[in-house]
Amino acid sequence: MEQIIFCFLSTTLILSALGAIGMTDTVNCVMCLLAAMFALAGLYVILGAPVVALFQIIIYIGAVLVLFLFVIMMLDLKKAAKGLAVRPFTSGLSILLICLIGVIAWLFHRSAVAVSNTATLPVFNLTQSIQDIALALFSRHLLVFELASVLLLVATIGAIVMTRK
Amino acid sequence: MEMDLFLGLGILLFSIGVIGFLIRSNVIVLLLSVELMLNAVNLIFVVFSRFIHGGSTGQIYVFIIMTVAAAEVAVGLAIIINLYRQFRTLDVSRINFLKG
Repeated sequence: MEQIIFCFLSTTLILSALGAIGMTDTVNCVMCLLAAMFALAGLYVILGAPVVALFQIIIYIGAVLVLFLFVIMMLDLKKAAKGLAVRPFTSGLSILLICLIGVIAWLFHRSAVAVSNTATLPVFNLTQSIQDIALALFSRHLLVFELASVLLLVATIGAIVMTRK
Repeated sequence: MEMDLFLGLGILLFSIGVIGFLIRSNVIVLLLSVELMLNAVNLIFVVFSRFIHGGSTGQIYVFIIMTVAAAEVAVGLAIIINLYRQFRTLDVSRINFLKG
C-alpha cells in the first residue's frame, strides 16, 4: 500500500515539476508547481512528518504561490514574455551541471556509511510530533527562530519599499 | 521503504530545477525553478531526519528554509515588478544593462 502511494506521489511530483519548467503559459507553470507542492506534502506524510506537510501546504500553496499569481495578474504577460524562449548558451551549461550533480550523487552513494536503509512504518502521531518540534524550536533552536522572524520582517519591509512608486 | 528511492527523487527534483533555471528565459519561471530546488533540499532534509538522525532537527531546518524561501519570493517578486516597470519585458536575455 505504501509503495503504491509512493509511486503515485513521486510520478505526480516529477511530471508536475517538468510541467512547471516546460509550460508555455506562466499561469500554467504556477499551477503545475501547485500540484508538485501537494505531491511533496503527501511524501512528507509518508515520511512521518505531518507537521512539515501542513506547513508545506499553508506556506507554499497558501502564501508563495498566491503571491506568484498576484504578480502575474499585475503584469501584462502577453507582451512581456513570449512563448517558450530558451537561452542556448546556458542550456548547454545545464547539461554539464546535471552531469556534475550525477557524479557527486554517485560519489556520495559509493562512500556512504552503512545506515539503516529501510524504515519502519511511519507513526502518524500529530500531537506527539507537534510537541517534539515545538519543544526543539523554542528551546534549542530559539536563536534561529528569532533570526528567521527578523529576516521575514526585513524582507517584508524591503518588498514594500522596492515596489513603491 | 528504501532511503535511496527518496534521495533519488530529491536529486531528480533538484536537477529539474537546475535545468529550468538555466534553460528558460522568463524571469517568473526562473523564480519557480529556484522554488523547486529549495523543495528538493527540503525533501532530502526530511528524509535524512527520518532515516539517519531520527529526531526532529531536520524538520526544524525545513521550517527555516521555508521561511527563507518565503522571504526570497517576496523580495524576488518585488524586483520582478521593478524590472517590468523599467524594461516592459520579462525576458532575461533582453534585460541586459544595469543602470536604469
